[in-house]
Amino acid sequence: MTKMPRKKVGGALGEMFRTVLERPVTVQYPFGKVAVTERFRGKLDIDPVKCTGCSICEIVCPAGVITMVPVGKKVVGSREVDIKRPTFDLYTCISCGQCVDDCKFGALALNHDFELAVFKKESLKMTKGLKIGK
Amino acid sequence: MDPIQVVELLLFPGLTFFVWLAFLFEWLERKTAARMQGRRGPVVTGPFGLLQPVADFFKLAAKEEIVPAEADTFVLTWGPALYFAAPAIGIAFIPVIGYQSVLYNPLDLLFMLFVLSFSTLMATLLGYAAAGRYSTIAIGRLVVQYTSYEVPLLIAMVTPAVLAGSLSIEGIVAAQGSVWYILLAPVAFAIFVIATLAELEKPPFDIPTASTEIVGGWMTEFSGNALAYIKLTKNLSYVFLSALAVSLFLGGAGGPVLTANADLQALAYTCYFLIKLFAVGFLIFAIRTALARVRIDQAARLFWTVMAPLSILQLALAVLIR
Amino acid sequence: MSEPEGNSKQSEAGAGLMQYSAEGMMPFGPVHPSLKEPEYFKLYLEGEKIVQVVPRIGYVHRGIERAAQERTWVKNIYLFERICGICSFHHSLSYTEGVEALAPFEIPRRAQYLRELVAEFERIHSHLLWLGLLGHWAGFDTLFMWIWKDREHILDLEEAISGNRVNKSYTTLGGVRNDLPDNLAEKSRTEVNYLEKRAEYYKSLVQSEETLSVRTKGRGRISQETARKLCPVGPLLRCTGIARDIRDEDPYAAYGDVPPQVQTENDGDIASLMTLRLNEVTDSCRMVKETLEKMPSGPFRVNFPRSVPAGESTFHVEAPRGELFYFVKSAGGSVPERVKVRTSTMANILTATEMLKGHTLADVPVVLTGMDPCFGCMDRVAVVDVDKSREWTIGGEELRRYGIEYYRRK
Repeated sequence: MTKMPRKKVGGALGEMFRTVLERPVTVQYPFGKVAVTERFRGKLDIDPVKCTGCSICEIVCPAGVITMVPVGKKVVGSREVDIKRPTFDLYTCISCGQCVDDCKFGALALNHDFELAVFKKESLKMTKGLKIGK
Repeated sequence: MDPIQVVELLLFPGLTFFVWLAFLFEWLERKTAARMQGRRGPVVTGPFGLLQPVADFFKLAAKEEIVPAEADTFVLTWGPALYFAAPAIGIAFIPVIGYQSVLYNPLDLLFMLFVLSFSTLMATLLGYAAAGRYSTIAIGRLVVQYTSYEVPLLIAMVTPAVLAGSLSIEGIVAAQGSVWYILLAPVAFAIFVIATLAELEKPPFDIPTASTEIVGGWMTEFSGNALAYIKLTKNLSYVFLSALAVSLFLGGAGGPVLTANADLQALAYTCYFLIKLFAVGFLIFAIRTALARVRIDQAARLFWTVMAPLSILQLALAVLIR
Repeated sequence: MSEPEGNSKQSEAGAGLMQYSAEGMMPFGPVHPSLKEPEYFKLYLEGEKIVQVVPRIGYVHRGIERAAQERTWVKNIYLFERICGICSFHHSLSYTEGVEALAPFEIPRRAQYLRELVAEFERIHSHLLWLGLLGHWAGFDTLFMWIWKDREHILDLEEAISGNRVNKSYTTLGGVRNDLPDNLAEKSRTEVNYLEKRAEYYKSLVQSEETLSVRTKGRGRISQETARKLCPVGPLLRCTGIARDIRDEDPYAAYGDVPPQVQTENDGDIASLMTLRLNEVTDSCRMVKETLEKMPSGPFRVNFPRSVPAGESTFHVEAPRGELFYFVKSAGGSVPERVKVRTSTMANILTATEMLKGHTLADVPVVLTGMDPCFGCMDRVAVVDVDKSREWTIGGEELRRYGIEYYRRK
């Protein structure tokens, strides 16, 4: 053990006065913003062009955010099956990124948007994925 | 009592002036504590957050007052007013605009001692009347703390009186024309400042209102108007005790005579007073920010075994010097 | 242990100014400014001195273990890491390692090193959080502000590596989710160097600052015999001089290659806990640097099957608070059959209540914080007291008596 420093009162005084001279660390949000890092997991976004409707994202989502809805029909082999595309309820999303990891086509991404406060829950339902990309 | 005195009493340099000073002191305290901790303190209300304490006061006054069922409503209604009255009348005896105070009595130092005990008595009464579990523990601590710091505080206050040969604050201020008593009796000043921390319940002696242990201490059960006035009174006591320290040890409003014009000179005196007041206030903030809270028995031990003998020694020295 | 009813009569009679409720009992919680999570402690007081503490847990019980039975293996990672915000990574780590033990896969070495890296970051952040809170609850707000300001460095670093500050979601079944590029490795080194210096400063500050020492020295003291009897875990155990650390005894992740230096103190009081945790922070900084040096190259993730083979596995890790223990049972399906979590605070809470006896009310926040409580962690195993005590033999006698008295008095 290192030798104990001598007991004194007010050991914090030196640091205190030094801190006064430094800039305060408070960021006055919303007038100032903190930059997020590159890997920051924010709001979910989909690129409809790449989505093929395989439904893997719906299966792996831990929070039940994604619902596949039928948007048309196609013929596979000898049967007619639904074409499905995802809708997202971003209100429930925990931004874990599991869907991003598991999407084989790279259609999903988490961007850096974190200011997701809205007045109505419905505003956070994302139907962008319903468009069938070219 | 002539009308000018009444105006002085109520406006300047009396109640209104000191209440605004109380708000300013709270702002200053929050800002300096914040800066020392690397934060900003209040910034939103008013320029630099200056109006924050005022906003807090009005917010509290606008809230509903919830009174516990077992509490004594009479005391809870009138108690805060009396609690406010104690330092409010005390400040009238402190000379601000010169060597004369608004109210004068040849024995007003004794009245100051009464004011201090009265405010603690009212605090105890309020805590007791609130009849909450946390309040009762708090007033036990408050009484222990009060009895501990009172003796050193009294002796420290009497020391300048001995040096000046007068028991009135005006007299003590006048006698400091040549040398300030902080130089003759520095230990008494130190004891006064430390006892002030205990009186105002500021760290390291904020045991009676230790918010992380007994929620709000004796103020727990108060809300709304009563709480607004209690907080205001705490700030007012802060200013009052600092002003007392300035008068007793730092020469009050005294200073070099700059002009022959009586009104401008009064302004000059007020400025000296304010500068010294802020210096003492700042000293108290710095100590408060740097220290943690001690326990009640440790505080009691500190006051009885260290402060009291030191203050007696200082008194003896003062008698010798005189 | 004296009867609470007798105590209350004494309190009422001899109290003087202190008039308590009929039981002579002072409730601490469930909601209290000093507890960051709700927990109910009944303090039986004589004047200001505590003679007995009866904890009542379960306020944050969320049914997570039951919820885990309906979610797939991967989804459960996200569930378990939300048990606790402060030791979140260790929960997901213990779970994933427990599940991986059921499958005959070898997890890549690089992934293990990366897991250790982030685990040590979490340890640093947790200890700094604790010290700041201790300062706050001892009335030393300045220390709280400064330490949390420094803690921001670690949190920003964690965000850079994993994408989030608190619920990092960094491990997954089969490895970790992101790799560590060189610029992040450089950033890690810079930050831990800075934090090492700060930890030294804080250590000298808390040891020399008199107003903090009088609150922590000699307070909440437990002896080695009490520790052996009541079985606390983590820093609470190590501060009594018993050197036990899961990372050392049963290495997981990469701790076999980058072992910790197990820190101990001998006094068993809160002051030694502060010193111990700061020493652990310094040691974690050293381990981070060593891990970055020795990091092997290779894949950071392998594919993991959707269904986990049947079996049972247990896994324990050294979370910042102590031993965190997961039991995973699989029936061969895509959801677990049972996951049981035993966290460190559950093991520590009896010791903490024992620590409180003989102290005054003023010491309660400081001493209770000394064990670094995480009631959110603990409450998942909040079964009915009497029931639990029958299964738990160590220290069960006291718990059993608490449980019985509690229900008798109800």
